[in-house]
Amino acid sequence: MPVRIALTAREAKDGGMQRLRLAACGVATATTVFLALPVLDVGGLRGGIPLWLVPFVAAAFLAPTTVGLLIALRHPGNRIAWIMLTGAFVVTLQFPLVLALDEGWALQIDRATWPLLYAWPIAVAYVFPNGRLLSPRWRWVIGAAIVSFVGVIGLMLLNPGPFYGDDADVPNPMAGSAVGTWADEHLEWLFWVLWVGMLASLVAGAVAIRLRLRRSSGIERLQVLWLAWAALLVPVVLALCFVSGFLGWVLGVTFFDWVVFPLLLGVEIAMAVSVGVAVARYRLYAIERLVNRTLVYVTLTTLLVGAFAGLTIGLGVLAGSGSEWVTAVATLVVATGFLPLRRRIQDLVDRRFSRARYDGVRRVRTFEDEVRDGRRAPEEIGTILAEALRDPLAELRFWLPATEAFADATGELVELSDDGRARTEIDRDGARTAVLLHDTALLERLDLLNGVLAAAALSIEMARLRVELRLQLAEVEASRARIVEAGYEERRRLERDLHDGAQQRLVSLGVQVRRLQRGLPRGAAVLSPALDRVVDEIGGAIGDLRQIAAGVRPARLDDGLSAALADLARSAPIPVDVDVPHERVQASVEAAAYFVACEALTNAVRYASASRVSMRAVRENGTLLVSITDDGIGGAVVRRGSGLAGLKDRVAAHGGTLAVSSPRGRGTRVEVAIPCES
Amino acid sequence: MRIVIADDTVLLREGVAGLLEDAGHTVVARVGDAEALLSVVAEHEPDLAIVDVRMPPTYEDEGMRAAAEIRQRRPETAVLVLSQHVESNHAVELVGSGGGFGYLLKDRILDVDEFLEAAERVSSGGSALDPEVVKQLLVPPAGDDTLDQLTPREREVLGLMAEGRTNAGIAKQLWLTERTVETHVSSILGKLELHGADGHRRVLAVLAYLRAAV
Repeated sequence: MPVRIALTAREAKDGGMQRLRLAACGVATATTVFLALPVLDVGGLRGGIPLWLVPFVAAAFLAPTTVGLLIALRHPGNRIAWIMLTGAFVVTLQFPLVLALDEGWALQIDRATWPLLYAWPIAVAYVFPNGRLLSPRWRWVIGAAIVSFVGVIGLMLLNPGPFYGDDADVPNPMAGSAVGTWADEHLEWLFWVLWVGMLASLVAGAVAIRLRLRRSSGIERLQVLWLAWAALLVPVVLALCFVSGFLGWVLGVTFFDWVVFPLLLGVEIAMAVSVGVAVARYRLYAIERLVNRTLVYVTLTTLLVGAFAGLTIGLGVLAGSGSEWVTAVATLVVATGFLPLRRRIQDLVDRRFSRARYDGVRRVRTFEDEVRDGRRAPEEIGTILAEALRDPLAELRFWLPATEAFADATGELVELSDDGRARTEIDRDGARTAVLLHDTALLERLDLLNGVLAAAALSIEMARLRVELRLQLAEVEASRARIVEAGYEERRRLERDLHDGAQQRLVSLGVQVRRLQRGLPRGAAVLSPALDRVVDEIGGAIGDLRQIAAGVRPARLDDGLSAALADLARSAPIPVDVDVPHERVQASVEAAAYFVACEALTNAVRYASASRVSMRAVRENGTLLVSITDDGIGGAVVRRGSGLAGLKDRVAAHGGTLAVSSPRGRGTRVEVAIPCES
Repeated sequence: MRIVIADDTVLLREGVAGLLEDAGHTVVARVGDAEALLSVVAEHEPDLAIVDVRMPPTYEDEGMRAAAEIRQRRPETAVLVLSQHVESNHAVELVGSGGGFGYLLKDRILDVDEFLEAAERVSSGGSALDPEVVKQLLVPPAGDDTLDQLTPREREVLGLMAEGRTNAGIAKQLWLTERTVETHVSSILGKLELHGADGHRRVLAVLAYLRAAV
């Protein structure tokens, strides 16, 4: 009961709990003491078990005892703790029992009680991890299991058959017993029925784990996964037992002590350890991956062993048994089949048991194909991740190292708000590329999260680079526009200064001369014509200044593009049609359009020998379109350094375009399109 | 004539005031911005306000807006707007909206007699439009040949009419007799189909015609 492991104050004070805790300590101590008997070889109890196996035996019993005790101390009422404690205890109980009995009974008990080794793991599988059955109907399963185990053990205790191997000369205490003989003769069918029942209870344990896995989520799911991993080892061991048995049969040796027994103990240890990890440290390892790999190799081993055995037997019939060729061919076939088979099985296991991960990774791969075909933009990877992870609120934020900020797929800079979503950093070659904001529930599905993110790593980096590039480009464009804007502002200031500064002073100078002239005494009237000339000069200077100011920036632009172009048309030496709407757009755009029109008109008059020019402007969908058409000789090109080339850059700075079409002999048309606001 | 002057260039303002006083007018107030102008107009109720277009704080068209304001609040005060450069849209609009209004480029002051005459004309309910503005108005837009029907002399007369001059003024300017000018005027009005216009209404009709043509 991991989620309730912390003691509540009430539980701690409860005397009943305290008693249970003492009982758990008692059981654990008894188990250890009983276990010490064979380990220390008291009364020859160790029998024929080799010395190196002793630690395995000890671990196999101490592991469930320790785990059970630890859980029981923290949470004395936990059923799983008691299943493990008593499970190990019941098996070790045979040691003092055997000491007290004669050799015949000792052997009989030893022969009959081996199913007890499997009793506690199966019981744990039924109630893990919350200590309760999946449903009341599982009581029948438990009932059937108990009947099977007790029945099999009971019938084997009654078995009057002789012992085998080294003990063949020890008489069976049941030999000649009426009950034993009757049972042996009449209940053999029952024995096999109960035996199948025992196997069925094992399968039921696997089914229970599978059902729990399907129904649980979050922490509970991870816990069940740990147990599932240990349970998976059972078929592995069975397969290895088969192989060693088969090889033993072929080679005439028995591997029981060397292989089968250690493996059986190993499963026992693994089971206990996995329960312990599941209860205390369920996030310790990438359990999903562990289960996945174990599953793959279990299936692979089983298949290869089956193939090897099948081939050896099949070819043996054809080529005569014992032929080296048979073994060689079977080995070759199995060796060649290993890699492709592994891949197929991995795929199958992924699809069958890690459906979400499999689908998620496939979603990412499909997206990569779509990007390659140009059907999708790489920036959409964020949406794809949300789909692949089945978290519609998941969002990807790209890291921009240059600006030290995060951006979304559109390139908008965003703050990572603390809205309760989990953040998973995505790195590539040690450098952060992005952060995924996602539901915290995904942290319990690290296999899915990591698998999908690993598959998407390249796409994410590509999208990030594109976002970064787009941002930098936008920044460059913005700064170019700012520079041009500043240029226009400067022109405007210069024009103001000319009008309000120098021109004003010239006018007041002229006015003073006029006052002087009008105040001249009668006798000095002869000076008057000279002063007239001075004022004329001043007037000329003012005219010049006005011209210069108009070249810098026509003040008429203050009244809008249409007014400025109308003025331009009036001052032109050839007729100019102007069809420009009166509506206003921002001043810098009007100025850019004006200067283009000015340049085009100058070119038409100066080089194209045009007799008529028409200027049209229209605003469409936020774009100002201006065209200047003449009826001149055509053949104009935008040369580098020419007036139009400079204007092309200026128009581009506003995000616009300038196009010149000038077929020889058919006039010239200059077209400008500039994005604008009103 | 009682006059107020609004111009932020002190030297020029004093010079113009001097010219006007030399000519026998009374300059009752000299100010440097539009706000002050509106208050002295309310205070002194002058016959004429001479206003610079660009004044503090933004140096855009404060003078023009103050002129429109004066016209609305105190129509008895005539307004003569002085500008550094031609802004014909505003100018034609304001001059064309009624008498007692003038728009001249600043350097016209240097032609003192013309300037004084324009000031007097405006204050007595007439109008004055800068020749530069009129010149732009008289350039025929492509495709319209109505103005082409006029003889060169008639176009000259039309221009002076648009400037707001009386027949006598036109006659003096062109060294013609008033009768000859009258003949030209009626011929022009006939060709442009502007009938029954007289006095300042004549200027309005001519301006309206020219503006429509642009």
